[in-house]
Amino acid sequence: MKVLEIKDVHKIYNSTEISVHAVNGVNLNFEAGEFAAIVGPSGSGKTTLLNMIGGLDKPTEGEIIINNTNLANLKSKELIDFRMRNIGFVFQAYNLIPVLTAKENVEFIMNLQKWAKSDRDNRTYELLKAVGLDDRANNRPSQLSGGQQQRVAVARALASKPMFVLADEPTANLDSKSTEKLLDIMEGLNRKENITFIFSTHDQRVVNKARRVITLEDGKIVEDNVK
Amino acid sequence: MWRNKTRSLVVISSIVVGVFAGVYSIAFMNGMIVQRVDSALSNEVAHIQINHKNFRSNNDIQDIIQNGDEVYRKIQNTDGVAAISRRTVITGMANTASKSTGVQVIGVNPDDERNVFKLYDKVIKETGSYLTPEKHNVAFVGEALAKELNIIRYEINDLVIDSLRKLEIPEEVIGKLEQFKGKRFKNEKLFFKKVKAELTEKESASFGRHIAKTSQRFRSRAKLTMTFLDKNNDQTGGNFRIAGLYNLPNNMYEKMQVFVLNEDLKALTGLEAYEYHQYLVKINDTEFTNEVTQSLRESFLDLEVLNWKEIAPDLAMTEDMVTQFYIVFMSIILAALAFGILNTMLMVVLERTKELGMLTAIGMNKRRVFSMIMLESIFLSLVGGVLGMLVSKIAIDISYAKGLNFANWEEGMEAMGYSSVIYPTIEPYWFVVMGVMIAITGMISSIYPAYKALKLDPAEAIRTE
Repeated sequence: MKVLEIKDVHKIYNSTEISVHAVNGVNLNFEAGEFAAIVGPSGSGKTTLLNMIGGLDKPTEGEIIINNTNLANLKSKELIDFRMRNIGFVFQAYNLIPVLTAKENVEFIMNLQKWAKSDRDNRTYELLKAVGLDDRANNRPSQLSGGQQQRVAVARALASKPMFVLADEPTANLDSKSTEKLLDIMEGLNRKENITFIFSTHDQRVVNKARRVITLEDGKIVEDNVK
Repeated sequence: MWRNKTRSLVVISSIVVGVFAGVYSIAFMNGMIVQRVDSALSNEVAHIQINHKNFRSNNDIQDIIQNGDEVYRKIQNTDGVAAISRRTVITGMANTASKSTGVQVIGVNPDDERNVFKLYDKVIKETGSYLTPEKHNVAFVGEALAKELNIIRYEINDLVIDSLRKLEIPEEVIGKLEQFKGKRFKNEKLFFKKVKAELTEKESASFGRHIAKTSQRFRSRAKLTMTFLDKNNDQTGGNFRIAGLYNLPNNMYEKMQVFVLNEDLKALTGLEAYEYHQYLVKINDTEFTNEVTQSLRESFLDLEVLNWKEIAPDLAMTEDMVTQFYIVFMSIILAALAFGILNTMLMVVLERTKELGMLTAIGMNKRRVFSMIMLESIFLSLVGGVLGMLVSKIAIDISYAKGLNFANWEEGMEAMGYSSVIYPTIEPYWFVVMGVMIAITGMISSIYPAYKALKLDPAEAIRTE
């Protein structure tokens, strides 16, 4: 089942002196359950592409269709709502809410979606257990290590059972042990929940784990390998 | 709100101080006004006054109320009337051996007067007593008038020294007063001139009034001669002994009003027993002042019927104006509060740029982001506001129980008609009004910071360091 179609997408940043063609005619499709990494040197357009997929940025040209919905046809309010229900995010700097506990961070999106308390609690504990932090549910982010915080972020991204998860350099701030553990967890969840994971990364360990590697250079796809 | 405890506590503290300053100031001013109005209505001005149409403008002895008994009955039968006092009012001169001054001589029936006014309760200790129907040719005089006419003398003796010690006047100061023992001073001016010459400026300011009050000596049954015109416009007058002195927080009233028995005044002026210039009415509930006034007006179309707001428009104006003053004052405080909250919330949005970007990215819509900022702002305001009001309430209750004594400014305050001991007080509804205004201020202050939060580009915000 196709969850994401990227059709001839361009992103051009215009300033008064220089035009930057950050994404230059990218065409990609993603199926459910893929575990893909987008790699490339700095400035290749990875983050820009990810932002457009996530609806955080608009393409200058082209279309992004998620589960048969063209993002360009959504109004601002509809887009935010669509994002909440269909896309999960994992950020480089974890971006957990510091005053909430791990449990509260995970159930945050479910609260926004007005899940029933019992469903919310069940899903939260299921995910915290899956990421190995069921015993740290009541700890605040400041009481967790970097790796643990990122695991909570992964649990949060999966909370509302999105179509896919976008992870922008999720391992950049982690040591190798934490990275291994995180990737194992993400792969496990990918297989178990059949949720597509799309990484933007420089990390070879992520590339090694990915089952599909897409290489970007100067905003264009130069390689797209399925392992 | 608590992620930066120090900042939140500083903001809350500033709100507490601001609210306290505002509420306590209002309570203080309100206390002054309430006391002034209460004192005036208890001692000086009746709820409703009825007199001849020309009486107030002419002040003519001939402007009496005709058919006095019928008028009295009609008033008695009017709904809402609690008590009536009838007065004879003559303008004249009061003289002692050394001084004279213009006064208003007011003839009263003491028993009726007691039902309408509480002046009987304002007798200065050891100066005598209020008027009684049995004692004739006596006058009840204000302290300020007694001083004016040199009826009050000043003397320092052993009793005075003991009293000053009990008042905890320093021994150093008392030592300087010893040289005045046995000496008598005709009036306050002379007394102060001599005493202040021996004291330092600070000692005079701190203790001068206490020394003067303690040294006052009233000449018991001092004589007062009063002269005025009688019914036929002939000069007449009489000698009166001082029955007692009264003290009100209104020096002007004390200087002008001398009270004698109606009988005595009528005997001197030739007025008949049933002839009066004023009928003063006390009503059961001042909430119905206008209704009772209107009722009496309809009964007495040929007489002037005025309520206290019309007799003393300065009092009414003070009461009305002061409410508007409170609103202006509180608005200024709330404006300062608003800027403080605005600044704080802008800092909050700036610090949480990344977090706000993340929240928008994961699906928090604009309405929720806006509400989040607004609720934090309102909560901050209300926490500070409620604490501020609590502190104010405690301070007001303590001050009310003890009174705030401005003895050093007693003379000036009494000259304006205000007591030097203030009991701060505030209507409970002001706390509700304050609470609502604080919440609204918090809400308004958060609009701009919330707008800034909404304008953040999530993709850029997430990348903020």
